[in-house]
Amino acid sequence: MRNAETGSTVDMELEEENTVQEIIEGAAGYWEKDSGAYVLRKGKRLLRGQQTVLDAGIGNSDDLELIPDPEGG
Amino acid sequence: MNRPIKPGESDEDRMERSRRVGWIDLDRIGKSRTLVIGAGALGNEVVKNLVLSGFEDITIVDMDRVVLSNLNRCLFFREEDAKRRSFKATALADMAQRMNAACRVSGMVMKVQDLDEGVFRSSDVVLGCLDNIAARLHVNAHCCHLGRPLIDGGTLSTSGKVQVVIPPDSPCLQCSMNRTHYRALERRFSCTGSDTTFFEPKLAAEITTTSVIAAIQVREAIKVLSGREDRCLHHLLRYDGLDNQALELEVPLDPDCGLHRRQ
Ligand SMILES: [Zn+2]
Repeated sequence: MRNAETGSTVDMELEEENTVQEIIEGAAGYWEKDSGAYVLRKGKRLLRGQQTVLDAGIGNSDDLELIPDPEGG
Repeated sequence: MNRPIKPGESDEDRMERSRRVGWIDLDRIGKSRTLVIGAGALGNEVVKNLVLSGFEDITIVDMDRVVLSNLNRCLFFREEDAKRRSFKATALADMAQRMNAACRVSGMVMKVQDLDEGVFRSSDVVLGCLDNIAARLHVNAHCCHLGRPLIDGGTLSTSGKVQVVIPPDSPCLQCSMNRTHYRALERRFSCTGSDTTFFEPKLAAEITTTSVIAAIQVREAIKVLSGREDRCLHHLLRYDGLDNQALELEVPLDPDCGLHRRQ
């Protein structure tokens, strides 16, 4: 898992039934992110919040990136 | 026989250099109606780009007033606007109108939630220049319901994004949201029992990122109106100005998102 804002990385242990939003919240909590909105990227695709690890096809060696979703205008 | 030409006549045509691009349909763009929702930093840059690009009928919606801290990134606002607490929508419309007398730029001072659906219906393209998730969801729902292309921009510090939604087939803004968006939305509204207060976080913002995002938004609008949807973003562009990176990302359509059900 990579933090798009800082470039730092951490390994995350996942179960097949974990959802993407659980991964997002886990990573945001680990990096003590503020209370904004975040999305998760795998390659050139954003992952849908309700998808599970199994649905999203997340494998052992996949790199995921936590990205803040810019709210400002 | 061809029309006779005159020396120097190409310098007398405002859009002559744009015509040379070839694929841009300036006739359609000039006749189109464009709705810009939000008259903050993105709204300022988007409207400037629209007028310069030949858009001649622009409606701007915003309920806020100008404050001094807007002036690091809002081309059309002046210190006097901040002193007078001018409404952003009308201040922006007045200044944009001065760029080209042939344009009709109007400002509507209101919450987007109060905007009549007819304004969406009569627009050919909608540009989202908003600063909160609730308003984005509202605009997204109207655009999906009425089948109007929506080009949404967002910034945070030196990063930003542009998402292109062309109903009914492309994934919408709601499709790309998750629980963190709804938590952020809830935090905006704090209910104390008798009152609901609106918490507006002060987000980092600067003009160079805003300029990049607004330029991409307007270029996507030009593609939509020129019949070049095939070359539009598919579906979202994430831009990181610190690392000089831009990445096009696919957004999966959410099968549970009710905004894509065909009538
Ligand atoms: Zn959707």
